Amino acid sequence: MQLRRLAALSLILLPIHVCALAAQSEATTTLGGYGEVHYTNRTGAGTPGEATLKRFVLYVAHAFDERLSLRSEVELEDARLESGSPAGEVSVEQLYLDYRLSSALTLRGGLLLPPVGIINEAHEPPTFNGVARPDFDHDVIPTTWREIGVGVAGAMPKFQGLNYRLYLVNGLVAAGFSADEGIRAGRQEGQNAVFANPSITGRLEYVRPGMRVGTSFWYGGSAAQDPLLGKGAFDNAVALLSADARLERGGFALRGVFATIHVADADRINAAYGGAVASRITGGYVEGAYNLLRLLAPRSTQAFNGFVRYERFDTQAEVPAGVMRDATRARRYTTLGVTYKPIYNVAVKGDYQLRRNRARAGEDEVFRLGLGYQF
Amino acid sequence: MIRKALAVALWIATAATAPAAAQAPKPAQVAASVRRLFGRDVRIDTLRADSSLVLRVSRRDSLLGFARVGNVRGKDQPITWLVAVDPALRLRDVDILVYREPYGGEVAYEAWRRQFRGKAPDAPLAVGRDIQGISGATISVNAVTTAVRRTMGDFSRWRQRGLLR
Repeated sequence: MQLRRLAALSLILLPIHVCALAAQSEATTTLGGYGEVHYTNRTGAGTPGEATLKRFVLYVAHAFDERLSLRSEVELEDARLESGSPAGEVSVEQLYLDYRLSSALTLRGGLLLPPVGIINEAHEPPTFNGVARPDFDHDVIPTTWREIGVGVAGAMPKFQGLNYRLYLVNGLVAAGFSADEGIRAGRQEGQNAVFANPSITGRLEYVRPGMRVGTSFWYGGSAAQDPLLGKGAFDNAVALLSADARLERGGFALRGVFATIHVADADRINAAYGGAVASRITGGYVEGAYNLLRLLAPRSTQAFNGFVRYERFDTQAEVPAGVMRDATRARRYTTLGVTYKPIYNVAVKGDYQLRRNRARAGEDEVFRLGLGYQF
Repeated sequence: MIRKALAVALWIATAATAPAAAQAPKPAQVAASVRRLFGRDVRIDTLRADSSLVLRVSRRDSLLGFARVGNVRGKDQPITWLVAVDPALRLRDVDILVYREPYGGEVAYEAWRRQFRGKAPDAPLAVGRDIQGISGATISVNAVTTAVRRTMGDFSRWRQRGLLR
């Protein structure tokens, strides 16, 4: 009897106070960021070592209330910008508003990162081994890839561990595609982006302690209403499929990504712009790492990872009729290195990269050192 | 019963006026979490330890344990957690009451949280040692693990000073 009365009492009491609490939510602004300094020395004559402040990124987040929030990243590349110099770049890497309805559904809009592969969304230096980002994440998945659009994200409520993201964004522009860097220069990056070819991109991932596996896609036209290509929304469609995995157990970490990109009617793109754009771009990498401190100092919370990464990708995996495949574009890069992390947000890196290709021409080796942080 | 109602009212009032009220979890959610961990028919009282509020959980005359709610910053937003211990201060469970960021929400998953269950008060609670991380959720994993480790330390100190009874 008393119990029931209390239950009734809490039912009356709680909602009032819950409302009072919800109404009290106040705005908060948070500053974060990441940065990295690189030293790079290539083999070969006339290639002295070079050091650059590769990236300085400020991350500003603002929570308007419990549901509505803004996240942004402003990036300065190569330390400074000066008129007349091709080096350096200032750009907004991402900027989006989130409206969180529940853990299962967040509405999102702004300059979004297509959720493709590993590095495009998680590109802070302490999150990956190697001084430079994998070359695959430059020439195949054009990291940092960002486009303007809207979408949804969340965790599947009935199946814990399954997350999704699905965005509608502006399309790529075929005029920028190239034989060497694939779709990379076709990105519009939020600057007066042509919206003639709405594109969809999404990701489904499954997460457990020590494991994250995902699959991603992008589909959308790239003609940008150029009369030489076509006016249709899906003309010169770019279709990307990717799968990735990150596994951790004990001191071991294993990650891998694979992606294949099909460019429709690449022959027409080449006829229009005079390039040698491939009809298929494909590749991936696998990387194994071991935290040597697990052996040397098992009680340490620091990490000293030794790693090996093997990348294999070809930006001309298939070419349209009339284009000669260039075997130097079938690249095989092996990177060996170490990453020392005094804490999980700071990394000191060093690696040695063997850059090979199927033609065995123009090959070189690169030694790199780097410092990176995030907060 | 009146005492319990008073305790709930007191706690709500405190939570509502505390400086961290902006990120306060809903009282009903805290109560639901405690009942899920300790059983439906438990009694929840509140204790003051230093400037913290501790929930004392009991059934009839037997003490079942203690719980504490707090916030820890993830990448840019507070993560609201609840840590529950048994009378011997052995870790009973960790609950994530509110998660607000776009990435790293996997710390709320049962598969990750269950690693904490049964940990001794002096367990290392270190990511990569006795707590397995989650790839792609490093900041949240470290934030929550640190918060739990600190809370276990607080519980131990409060016990030594006779504040937990």
